[in-house]
Amino acid sequence: MIEVGRLVVKIAGRDAGKKGVIIDVLDDKYILIDGETRRRKVNILHIEPLNQKIDIKKNVSHEDVAKALDELGLKVRITKPKPKTQKPKAKRKTPEQLRVQKEEKKKLRDIFRHKKKEQKSEVKQEATLEEKAGLSEEKKEGAKAEKPVEAKPKEKKTSSKKAERSKE
Amino acid sequence: MPAPRLRSRSLRRIFRKVPGNRVSLQYREKKPKPAKCGNCGAVLKGIPREMPYRMRGIAKTRKRPERPFGGVLCSRCMRQKMIDKARQ
Repeated sequence: MIEVGRLVVKIAGRDAGKKGVIIDVLDDKYILIDGETRRRKVNILHIEPLNQKIDIKKNVSHEDVAKALDELGLKVRITKPKPKTQKPKAKRKTPEQLRVQKEEKKKLRDIFRHKKKEQKSEVKQEATLEEKAGLSEEKKEGAKAEKPVEAKPKEKKTSSKKAERSKE
Repeated sequence: MPAPRLRSRSLRRIFRKVPGNRVSLQYREKKPKPAKCGNCGAVLKGIPREMPYRMRGIAKTRKRPERPFGGVLCSRCMRQKMIDKARQ
């Protein structure tokens, strides 16, 4: 009963109730089937042979099985082959390209450094303004006239304080 | 004496060991009976025994076996049915 070309029904598992053809008899336990199920190795206990038999050779291709079963009115399971995709290979950079890359990185670093410096200077200026906020306007005018060097502000403060005291 | 609402048997009783090394009596809702084969009455495997509102949250593939008549017939009865169909 179990021979190549015999139609069978699968009676166990997810493919239960689906028909197929025996393509190969592997040993006294297992066979290879194809048809409404995908091509698979099956235990003989999990199939029920039918009366029909078709003429096919051992280990025929899936397309031939599909043709043979089409004549009997059975639709064969068609699986779409996965499209072959190749991963893009990473190309090595030429020494010139590496130089350009390094230069660009340096530029970026410089930009960041400049920004940091500017930020620090801004913070300092704000601090000085806050300190000065409490002082009188006269002192500011005097500072404008004198155009002081950066090292002098301490002296100015003292002088302005003295001026305030004298006013009082 | 438990509260009057807990004296009925509509809730099942379980004993739980609680912190403090004490065994306390707790009340839980009853689970439904296990699913059975439509042909032979055997208990079906692979079907969770949960309340309907919990079954709603479970995926369909986790609620029954993925084969023809899964969740209705046991595998033995299903096989016999397939064999009978093939031999007609």
